[in-house]
Amino acid sequence: MRTALLTSLKVLAVDIPLLLILGTSLGWLLAKRNFRGRELLHLLLLLPVVLPPSVLGLYLLMFFGRVSFFHDLGLLFSFPAAAMAPLLPALPIMIQAARSGFASVDERLEDAARTLGDGEAAVFRRVTFPLARRFLLAGLALSSARVLGDFGVTLMVAGNIPGRTQTLPLYIYSCIEALDFALAHAAAVVLTVVGIGCLLLVRRMEGSGRGRLA
Amino acid sequence: MAAWLDARFAHRLDSFRLDVSLEMGPEIGILFGPSGAGKSQTLRVLAGLTRPDKGSIRLNGRDLADLPPGMRKIGLVFQELALFPHLSVVENVAYGLKGPDRLKKARHWLSQVRLDGFEKRLPHQLSGGQRQRVALARALAPEPDLLLLDEPFSALDGPLRSSLRRELKRLHRETGTPLLYVTHQIEDVCALGDHIFFMNDGAVTASLPVGSLWENHAVEAAWRSLGWGTFLSGEVTEFTGGIIFAWEKGRLLLPPSTRFRGKTRAFVAPHHVKLLYPDLPVDPQLAENVMTGTIVEALEMGSMTRVYLSACGLQWQAEFSREAYAFLNLREGETARFAVRPRCVSLLEPRPFEEVTNADEDHCPAS
Repeated sequence: MRTALLTSLKVLAVDIPLLLILGTSLGWLLAKRNFRGRELLHLLLLLPVVLPPSVLGLYLLMFFGRVSFFHDLGLLFSFPAAAMAPLLPALPIMIQAARSGFASVDERLEDAARTLGDGEAAVFRRVTFPLARRFLLAGLALSSARVLGDFGVTLMVAGNIPGRTQTLPLYIYSCIEALDFALAHAAAVVLTVVGIGCLLLVRRMEGSGRGRLA
Repeated sequence: MAAWLDARFAHRLDSFRLDVSLEMGPEIGILFGPSGAGKSQTLRVLAGLTRPDKGSIRLNGRDLADLPPGMRKIGLVFQELALFPHLSVVENVAYGLKGPDRLKKARHWLSQVRLDGFEKRLPHQLSGGQRQRVALARALAPEPDLLLLDEPFSALDGPLRSSLRRELKRLHRETGTPLLYVTHQIEDVCALGDHIFFMNDGAVTASLPVGSLWENHAVEAAWRSLGWGTFLSGEVTEFTGGIIFAWEKGRLLLPPSTRFRGKTRAFVAPHHVKLLYPDLPVDPQLAENVMTGTIVEALEMGSMTRVYLSACGLQWQAEFSREAYAFLNLREGETARFAVRPRCVSLLEPRPFEEVTNADEDHCPAS
């Protein structure tokens, strides 16, 4: 179980920064910028939420297996695949949270910062981000839990290779196949505790929205 | 001498067209006009938050057209104040300041607006008037060349408003910062302004020194150009039963607290002209100022109805939401009764600022 836990933690270590960077920037783009095709982009980014994991996995397999550049990288059924696979269904959660967070920050606050001398980067750093931070943290907690718990997509594109791509959910599956329920339970407890922890964090962050005008 | 602020620009926003030309010295300018005239939009263009389709803006000899808001040295106090909810009062004021002594400077500005000791509070822990003063201090702290104020006191009640106006005037005297103040309340014009710009339908229709509001006949033309509200020339005298404003063909009762006597002008905003139902008893506050007139024109303007009434030698403008008088048969040519509350007759008192005490300023409820 220790190797599976370690693999899961490694996946998280790769995905949490990616979730933060990609989710925050895409969420900001969707909330604060008007551009052609914004609604289409939003729908496309939300698509992984409604698609079954096996369908997602199939498309990923085809993409990474058929497109020759990616095929030559040899990403499938390796640790990079195990790290990328859960990102796809988890990212929309982060984007959605970031988008609501940034949308909740009143534009007049940002305008006030602009008239007081801030450029766009400073407006983001000093006003938009601090006021949306609770939403971002809540989104990060939920999407990280989704990363940690991913089963289907990972199985489709990374397989279930102990020590390389076997994360905790896949480990539980293998234990049950081997009828080793004690080990399965132990791993399940870890995942359940982490899940509850994430929910508690989200509850705390949902407290008061602060981006509105005082 | 070139004007301190010289702005000429045009901007199209959906179906609304803004076409502004405005010249102002280092003084207090008032941008006066009805809601929806484009006043706030004008301020946004001046501040650089909206980029106009074309035009030029010069301030203190600098060309602002291509500068981002932060480089224009223009402060803006929003109608909603927009204090940063996550920052303490002193951090709010210091927001536009740089350098190691920014907090010290911010504390100095806080004492300028008499808020010593409130440094550590958060905006939501302050009263309405205190928040206004923080917003003022925050906008003034970077020492802008021009301070724009977008109806900043409109949400406050009468006495508080007049005390903040006094405070604003004092800050203007002490800092020398020119102000451009947007309002649709005539009291603000008299109490604050050096120069008044009339604005309606996206354009500045006239501009006058406030001092001349009582003097010449050009004023009438200016008011007509505004095309909003009812403007009266007459005399304030004492009469049995109270103080009245009398003109050739009519008179209106004024509040008993009115101190001014003599010839002056008065203004009645359209939403303060109340139509009366023929069969219902009249509100005692209105009873003294009932007039009967003929409906000249009734216009549907979105959710509002505007009615022009001819009565007592004048044309009156009344405005109300469309449903409000659905029972009345408002047709052109019909007779209607209407009334104005004494305290809704705004006298354009010459230099009332020094004379006015808090108790005098019994202001009209906003529509």
